[in-house]
Amino acid sequence: MNEEIAFLTVTGLAIVRALPVTVVLALTSALGASAVAVALVAAQATRVGRPLAQVWIFVFRGTPLLLQMFMVYYGLAAVGPIRHGLLWPLFRDPLFCAFAAMTCCCSAYIAEVLRAAWQAIPPGQVEAAQACGMSRWTRVRRVIAPQMLRLALPAYGNELVMLIKSTSLASTITVLDVTGVAQTLIAHSYRTLEVFCLAAAVYLGLTAGLTALLRRIERNLERGTGR
Amino acid sequence: MTEVLRARGITKSFGGRAVLRGIDLDAQAGDVVSILGGSGSGKSTFLRCLNLLELPDAGRIEIAGTTAPLDHDRKGRPRIADPRALNALRAKTAMVFQNFNLWSHMSVLDNVIAAPVHVHGQPRGEAIERAHGLLDKVGMTGFAQHWPRQLSGGQQQRVAIARALATDPDLMLFDEPTSALDPERVREVLDLMRALAAEGRTMLIVTHEMAFARDVSSRVVHVRDGVIESMGPPDAMFGAGASPAFRAFLAH
Ligand SMILES: Nc1ncnc2c1ncn2[C@@H]1O[C@H](COP(=O)(O)OP(=O)(O)O)[C@@H](O)[C@H]1O
Ligand SMILES: [Mg+2]
Repeated sequence: MNEEIAFLTVTGLAIVRALPVTVVLALTSALGASAVAVALVAAQATRVGRPLAQVWIFVFRGTPLLLQMFMVYYGLAAVGPIRHGLLWPLFRDPLFCAFAAMTCCCSAYIAEVLRAAWQAIPPGQVEAAQACGMSRWTRVRRVIAPQMLRLALPAYGNELVMLIKSTSLASTITVLDVTGVAQTLIAHSYRTLEVFCLAAAVYLGLTAGLTALLRRIERNLERGTGR
Repeated sequence: MTEVLRARGITKSFGGRAVLRGIDLDAQAGDVVSILGGSGSGKSTFLRCLNLLELPDAGRIEIAGTTAPLDHDRKGRPRIADPRALNALRAKTAMVFQNFNLWSHMSVLDNVIAAPVHVHGQPRGEAIERAHGLLDKVGMTGFAQHWPRQLSGGQQQRVAIARALATDPDLMLFDEPTSALDPERVREVLDLMRALAAEGRTMLIVTHEMAFARDVSSRVVHVRDGVIESMGPPDAMFGAGASPAFRAFLAH
């Protein structure tokens, strides 16, 4: 019994020590993917950008994230100009490769969420903004973006939850995140179920925290419309 | 008299179907022009062409001395020649919609000050002070911090009118402002528009409220199939001088 508690404590601490890697990967990917998604939506409003954005979304949404990570980490290393190029210090780092793959993949999903929100904006409210002479930028800033934020938030939150869980794939390209550390601990202890349960609890804590935060933001936004 | 609107030869087709087939209309400062006509005759399209929410295929529009910046691309499709001039032109007008179209994420006060602050660059404090005065005027005292969805249709439309007045527009465009209202709410909006007419606002009003049009207008315009079928002062239009087509429309 005592031995059991000691094991769980030591294991738990080791896993929690890997938490920053998971959090950093999730945060940077979420920021990167959101920024790329906004660019994709903006690009879709232009004639040249639309096909490019559509190809991007088609490719990254239609292929597995796991393969994307393999291709970035193992695949690009075989490409001469990258291997010997200025960016090699970045692409030899598995954490950066995981970030790059997740940014690309999740940006495709988030772009679709934003596009759906864009299309759900009541057209009359945009016309009212046009009719009083607001410039395009003022319309985006004062009417379109705030409306999109409200409309997109629930689905966007969903994507972020998926993103947090997807960070565990980074362990397959040697990143020692929560899942990666859990796997090494199992390799030494052979106590698969206990270790994975501890790791799963960590993800559960992260997603629960995010969900609570989103709920709060949603409630604040709703209060700002008199609901 | 100062000319506020001069529209010449406005045409517009949707998918090959001619909806406006050459409309000329002028308005002097203080004119109240009622635009009447059957559904689908092109009334809304005409109004929306004036502030370029729709781009007319051909024609010339001048509002308070500013010419609409219209030209055509190589394929002959209409386009905006200059977005800044477009916004400057629109800033001289205000539109009141059938469905109010208040910005649902803004309080009543923010709806009213948005154009003065973000289009005309008026200092926020000044705009707020003026907005409170306008809310008093439209009978919405005490509603500044409410949200659009908390208001009845009639209240929303009165806020929309306050929003339209906030920039002191040269020309106000009303597209069936009472058509979405419960019958018992129609009067509060019509009374307000009557007051605006009395204080000399220049207004173009698409409406189905015949009694209102007869009382308030300086001119009544009958639109049919995308052309002005007849127009004249209300006495003539609603009296013996009316065209047979307009009489048939009224009898309908
Ligand atoms: N954006 C549009 N696209 C295609 N057809 C349109 C559009 N707007 C109006 N129309 C058509 O133009 C005609 C005139 O419409 P409208 O100006 O709204 O008439 P009214 O306001 O007099 O009822 C109608 O047949 C309508 O279906
Ligand atoms: Mg109409």
